[in-house]
Amino acid sequence: MAELTTKYLGLSLSNPLIVGSSGLTDSVENILELEKAGAGAVVLKSLFEEQIMLEVDSSLKEAYQNDMIYSAKSETLDYIDLHIRERTLSAYIELIKETKKKVMIPVIASINCVSSAEWINFANYFEEAGADALELNIAILPSDDKTKASEIEKVHFEIIEKVRSKVKIPLSIKMSSSFTNLAQMIKRLSETGIDGIVMFNRFYTPDFDINNFAEKSSNTFSTAAESGNIRRWVGIMSSKIDSDLAASTGIHSAEDMIKQLLAGARAVQVVSTIYRNGKDQIQKMLGGLNQWMDEKGYNTIEQFRGKLSQEKTSNPSAYERIQFMRYFSEIK
Amino acid sequence: MENISEILKSERQQTWRDELRKSMKAKERTSIPRVKMPEQDPHVRNKNHEEVNMGLTDKMAMKEAQRCLDCVDPTCITGCPVGINIPKFIKRIEQGEFLESAKTLKETNALPAVCGRVCPQEVQCEANCFYVQKLKKDPVAIGFLERFAADYERNSGSISVPRVEHKNGIKVAVIGSGPSGLAVAGDMVKWGYDVTVFEALHEIGGVLKYGIPEFRLPNEIVDVEINNLKQMGVKFETNFIVGTTAKVDDLKKEGFKAFFVGSGAGLPKFMNIPGENYRRIFSSNEYLTRVNLMNAANPEYDTPVFSGKNVAVIGGGNTAMDSVRTSKRLGAARSMIIYRRSIEEMPARVEEVKHAQEEDVEFMNLNSPVEYFSDEKGNVNKMIVQKMELGEPDSSGRRRPVPLEGSEYEVEVDTVVVAIGVSPNPLIPASMPELEVTDWGTIKVDKETMQSSVEGIFAGGDIVRGGATVILAMGDGRRAAKGMHEYLKAKAPAK
Repeated sequence: MAELTTKYLGLSLSNPLIVGSSGLTDSVENILELEKAGAGAVVLKSLFEEQIMLEVDSSLKEAYQNDMIYSAKSETLDYIDLHIRERTLSAYIELIKETKKKVMIPVIASINCVSSAEWINFANYFEEAGADALELNIAILPSDDKTKASEIEKVHFEIIEKVRSKVKIPLSIKMSSSFTNLAQMIKRLSETGIDGIVMFNRFYTPDFDINNFAEKSSNTFSTAAESGNIRRWVGIMSSKIDSDLAASTGIHSAEDMIKQLLAGARAVQVVSTIYRNGKDQIQKMLGGLNQWMDEKGYNTIEQFRGKLSQEKTSNPSAYERIQFMRYFSEIK
Repeated sequence: MENISEILKSERQQTWRDELRKSMKAKERTSIPRVKMPEQDPHVRNKNHEEVNMGLTDKMAMKEAQRCLDCVDPTCITGCPVGINIPKFIKRIEQGEFLESAKTLKETNALPAVCGRVCPQEVQCEANCFYVQKLKKDPVAIGFLERFAADYERNSGSISVPRVEHKNGIKVAVIGSGPSGLAVAGDMVKWGYDVTVFEALHEIGGVLKYGIPEFRLPNEIVDVEINNLKQMGVKFETNFIVGTTAKVDDLKKEGFKAFFVGSGAGLPKFMNIPGENYRRIFSSNEYLTRVNLMNAANPEYDTPVFSGKNVAVIGGGNTAMDSVRTSKRLGAARSMIIYRRSIEEMPARVEEVKHAQEEDVEFMNLNSPVEYFSDEKGNVNKMIVQKMELGEPDSSGRRRPVPLEGSEYEVEVDTVVVAIGVSPNPLIPASMPELEVTDWGTIKVDKETMQSSVEGIFAGGDIVRGGATVILAMGDGRRAAKGMHEYLKAKAPAK
């Protein structure tokens, strides 16, 4: 029986499988079940900056349409954005406190930010509530043709600096892969002293319903095929930076998990496969990891972690190959 | 509604109204400038607690009443939440029949002297006046005239007590003695019910007493209107907290057949910024209640409130204006309003903003507090304020305040009053889990009958709206009374 423990963000995890931020981690009851199923840690459902803004807008609309709630001249309506933020934050803080009371595994709080607005100052409340670490999910789609790449990059550093000055608990950043020079960006992020980098957040993708000429969401859940790109970047960067790496997106089986560990990840974040296969999937994946380690004669994860990273692999150029050339030319 | 239109039409056709209309040409009426309310000098009044507005004289009121054109379609009434017959009461003033005018007001409004003082007429009846709508001129001073008629009656010593129907012996309970509760009590007692109002505090009047300072609404005025209700037969129980002293079920056992919950929104809200728990940072509720109801302005009293020299009030509504003007009267050298939007966007009444400006209140608009600091005793001594700019409009159409990065600066303060809104009182909902509430803690009601999810329990005012004006709360109370009356009639058909 192999030893599955790992260190991530300085926290001791009983195994490298972290249940990622999602609806699976939005209640104490759910998290208790995930712990029972064997999860090494959980990242709580993100507190979305955008969501708070949207809720403010919808509450304002409701208040103006339904004159039974908050007359236009009321001070409460005037400050409704603050009150909504307060209510959302209070509920989140309560979730952290209750979860910490009832579970033993590390609990990582998460904020989804799109700007360095003042509300991220509330990070210290998460620390006071007992969160073991904080994941900053910075998801900015580079779709604004007036914003320079450097400006988008700057937001990341501003957010990290602000939050770092507020809290002492370990910090990680769940980042996007849409950067002009991704390797340099990851390196610079690591140089801020951030404890961990999660590769990568997965954007909502719009799709079309061609029969009704309507917009719809595509692929709510990830597929295993999506993990390849993550594996590439984990492999390229794991030996070049000091921050811990966690792989996220498309990790659906023990094999997917093992590959990310071989590329150098300290942990993996899993969501879609649990939605599809239930919480028992956690035990299946951990069992698979255990069996593989036994077969290969590994007692600890550190014995093989990063074995196939770009630095250690016998074929480092494979990581940087971007064309299939010979592969396709040989298919007749 | 058609019925009301018919009544208004037939009253307008009465001979005295017709003759009065013809006594003066419309052009002459519209050429009269709007009356100016006599006021105490700003630099005298900001050192006393006497009422700022001194009221119109008979002559001024009659002249102003002449401006009213007694329109065929009195649009002003549509702006009044309790549907006062505005042209009729104004024409009674023009006629010199001031007591008749007061009687007209009381037909639909249990608290005319209060509403004449605190209603935001500029966005209600006066905003719908023909002068504003069609002539683009200053509206008839409906609020000033309402106050005049009610004050005249009070000072005349011949206060009319509305006629009360024969007692039917059915007991109804009103929880809370604020404007909505008093409106329910007034209507229900008129219809013959045995009404008891339960009040948690030692004084009757709710927000009218604890929330609105004497310089804007003297307690004595509220007491006169309450005495009127007492004379009509309404009973009042003070220091009685329904939900704690006794629950609704206990009162049911005492024979109460229906309930109106008007327990208001007395739970203060804060911004939850660092340092907000330091001493001498008050909620506006505490600050105003202590001064208005607990004699805290008197340093000789048991629990005086600290009279700071540099007072910052956070917010831009009427409560903020009441708090900042109170601080001036308590001796502050510098009284500041710190509000994150511009002055045009303040929810406070225009008149209150103007009065505060005249009284040397400093307006720091487009500013918002970020953090408070204290001395070694834990008393607030400094705050960091951040400048704001107005960004994109939100769904209400108002531009959102956005912080200006790096614009923070320090302000010396020794007292801070936070006036950014309130939450509904949670006591009744907490003691009745079956009562449906919104995410905001307000009680859900049927808009027409004001009945809650629990049969026989009606609600209105701030506990339903979260935050409302006095007159909106009274409008709720009147609708709830109608709903309650219909409910009780259906339960126990008349013999």
